[in-house]
Amino acid sequence: MSLLEIQDLSVVYEPRGAAPTLAVKDVSLTLEQGEFVGLVGESGSGKSTLGFAVTRLHKPPARIAAGRIVFDGVDVAQLDAEELRVQRRGGFAMVLQSGMNALNPVRTVGNHFTDVFAAHGHVPTAARRRRATELLDKVQLPSTVLDRYPGELSGGMRQRVSIALALSLEPRLMVFDEPTTALDVLVQHAVMDTIRELQAAEGFTAVLISHDLGVVLESAQRVVVMHDGEVVEDGAARQVFEAPAHPYTQMLLSHYADPRAEVVELPGLERRAPAVTEPGAAPASAPAAGTVPAAGTPATGRRAARDAIVVDHVSKVYPPPRRGEQPVTAVDDVSFRLEPGAAMALVGQSGSGKSTIAKMVTGVERPTSGTVTFGDLQVDRLRRHQLKRLHTDVQMVFQDPYSALNPLHTVEYTLTRPVENYTGLRGEAARERVLGLLEKVGLTPVEQFAAKLPHQLSGGQRQRVVIARALASDPQVLIADEPVSMLDVSLRAGVLALLEELRAETGVSLLYITHDLLSARVITDRIMVLHHGRVVESGGTAQVLRFPEDEYTTRLLDAIPQPARRFGGVA
Amino acid sequence: MTRPSENSPGAAPDTGTALATTSPAATPSTTTPPAPPAPGRRTWLDTTAPGRALQVLGRAVATVWSNPKARAGLVILGVFVLMALLAPWLAPYDPHDDSFGRNEPGSAAHWLGTTGNGEDVLSQVIYGSRISLLVGLVAGGLSTVVAVVIGLSWGYLRGWGNDVVNFLVNLFLVMPGLPLMIIIAAYLQNGGLPMIILVVVITGWAWGARVLRSQTQSLRSRDFVTAAMFSGESAPRIIFREILPNMTSMIAGSFFGAATAAILSESGLSFLGLGDMATVSWGSMIFWAQNSMAILTGQWVLLFAPGLCIALLATAMTLVNFGVDGLSNPRLREGSGR
Repeated sequence: MSLLEIQDLSVVYEPRGAAPTLAVKDVSLTLEQGEFVGLVGESGSGKSTLGFAVTRLHKPPARIAAGRIVFDGVDVAQLDAEELRVQRRGGFAMVLQSGMNALNPVRTVGNHFTDVFAAHGHVPTAARRRRATELLDKVQLPSTVLDRYPGELSGGMRQRVSIALALSLEPRLMVFDEPTTALDVLVQHAVMDTIRELQAAEGFTAVLISHDLGVVLESAQRVVVMHDGEVVEDGAARQVFEAPAHPYTQMLLSHYADPRAEVVELPGLERRAPAVTEPGAAPASAPAAGTVPAAGTPATGRRAARDAIVVDHVSKVYPPPRRGEQPVTAVDDVSFRLEPGAAMALVGQSGSGKSTIAKMVTGVERPTSGTVTFGDLQVDRLRRHQLKRLHTDVQMVFQDPYSALNPLHTVEYTLTRPVENYTGLRGEAARERVLGLLEKVGLTPVEQFAAKLPHQLSGGQRQRVVIARALASDPQVLIADEPVSMLDVSLRAGVLALLEELRAETGVSLLYITHDLLSARVITDRIMVLHHGRVVESGGTAQVLRFPEDEYTTRLLDAIPQPARRFGGVA
Repeated sequence: MTRPSENSPGAAPDTGTALATTSPAATPSTTTPPAPPAPGRRTWLDTTAPGRALQVLGRAVATVWSNPKARAGLVILGVFVLMALLAPWLAPYDPHDDSFGRNEPGSAAHWLGTTGNGEDVLSQVIYGSRISLLVGLVAGGLSTVVAVVIGLSWGYLRGWGNDVVNFLVNLFLVMPGLPLMIIIAAYLQNGGLPMIILVVVITGWAWGARVLRSQTQSLRSRDFVTAAMFSGESAPRIIFREILPNMTSMIAGSFFGAATAAILSESGLSFLGLGDMATVSWGSMIFWAQNSMAILTGQWVLLFAPGLCIALLATAMTLVNFGVDGLSNPRLREGSGR
């Protein structure tokens, strides 16, 4: 008998005062004991709703509208709260995306284990500490962690603790809901490794819910793809990877590529010709600027960028977070020059200082030492009221399109403000320009988008509005801080292509900040790899990524999920 | 550029606030889906600024109304407002008319009896609502305005001014309210209603400022505030156009809280004999009832009726407060959950 049998399950959201939404539609799925199943889909596909329903953790307004969830012969959908609680041991457990924030900050890790053991009474008091140590060992944490508070652990460690806690009930089914999404790139990789090893060693059935097909293909034996609440593909990982049957899966797969490859192509970036080719590139060939023929062509726009941003031996030291600790050096002696019209990537994991550099370049923060100049402006000396002059030419695209737009202002208002402030246009002329900006970022019909509020737009559309706002002053430089990291995989290429296109069209130069080497590869010519605030490697993007010289760059490259590595062959 | 798009009926070409309520977000499939104009469930048509203000207000009331507790509060509040507005027609007698028999119990002529001075109690209760509501709305409103201006600038700006304001607000927070009020009122003796309002405002703004400041601080770190800076907006504009509208519910809540406190303070001061004893308010009614030892003479209604009114009005305000949460959230406002 199979461990879990989902029959014609439908889950509906019934918020008060709004039309109900069917999030999961007639899904049937069977999981065998010991399987590692990946559940993939983009935001809104119903994958998490399904995961929550299976473990009966869904809350109103979500409701199981129809269908049966048979776990080991028991219909879970019918259980009451107490039966469900008992069932959790030896039954099913869930690890959440924010699992690392699910620990109580005022209790030690050891207390968390004690609570679980006490609630289910399956571990004698005397053996509790030993058992907790065992569990921590399984997720590769030392037993000293038991006496520490969650606040003293890193995000990755906390996520490991929550996995260990879920394990403590010896579940036969573990549901991982985006277990690594909130973690740093390099840590993500390590935690996924742990989950994989754990599953192999313990033999529980694992369901890995993720938006990232790459991650799933790398780990799972079987892949289930969801789209719009329906299962569109269900098959062995290798088969899904090599011969995806559904067009949606094919589309998702097309967004993965190896940044190390000679030719990198993403959908929507076709304009850029067969991406980067470096004829006869060898590690020895000196990295030079402008090795990219296609995108480096000088601008044909109305106004080409004229001034370079020069960052000269800049350091930023923050005062110690607590008394008696060392000051934090966020950026350590970084120098670079962003030529007019060039595109440069700053890459590194979180805490590498890349965002701090962006803040210093835009005048939001001042460097502790060193200088930042843009044309005749000494950015590090600007007073607050002089910033406006800098921002006429240096604009920013923010990371999170969900918080970068004021939820109460229409798109038109958001765009009209910078137009009025920087171009001096008023009334009809300003409106004309706003609609022109919307047209430029591909939000048509423009009249309709102008009247919308942010919550009526999808993530990709919001990011386009954010880009349009940055373009309102007709800037010379765009600083893009992880502009696509919050977007669904299939939306990323579109936004990247837009940036690329704008650059060709207006000659704006681009400082692209990211941890995602693939996107850096397709839209930038130069790259700087940052680690602990230092530049560890820099040069032509293709050169550095294809023939990395620093060990850290290699680690970043290895952290990118690459199904191709597992199955061999090319995507 | 200005191509005539297939607008939904409400999308007026100017001051485009007409919103076709499409189902939000969740269009993940393609890169730029120009979302088809979904048939809007509700469409607002407007062309003028006052029209827009009215529409916003109407929407706000509708949001509050949708909460059952708040609905109960609004009903009670509405009854009191009507009572105050229509007092001359509702009240059977002039509240100052002391030509009736003294300390009479309830009768057909005087439903709630008469006071020790021979005035009609029912008429006094009805007229008293005017003072309580007036003080509540004016003093509550004024102290909210002070709280908003100080709280928002305090939360947004940085520098030495911040420390000064911090000291001031903390000063007002640690000083016990009622004793301070009594002292100020004693100094400003016989100032009448404006004096009471002034006293209530001086002692009542600090809490609101503190609450609004912490919310401002959390909002100022949001990207859209930084983005507004990049859009070349001035500090006052960022504070009042970007941050303030996101705190509508908090400000409304703070107003109702302040109004409740003001009503209670006014009654308290009047009861202590520090108000204007010539005007009829619920507080002064209790003061006079206490003076004439109404309980001993069996006229508990004299104390009970104005007391109940004060309690009911304060409760109504608090109930309304339950419903103001949805105000700042356009998603809640349109009832389109995500």
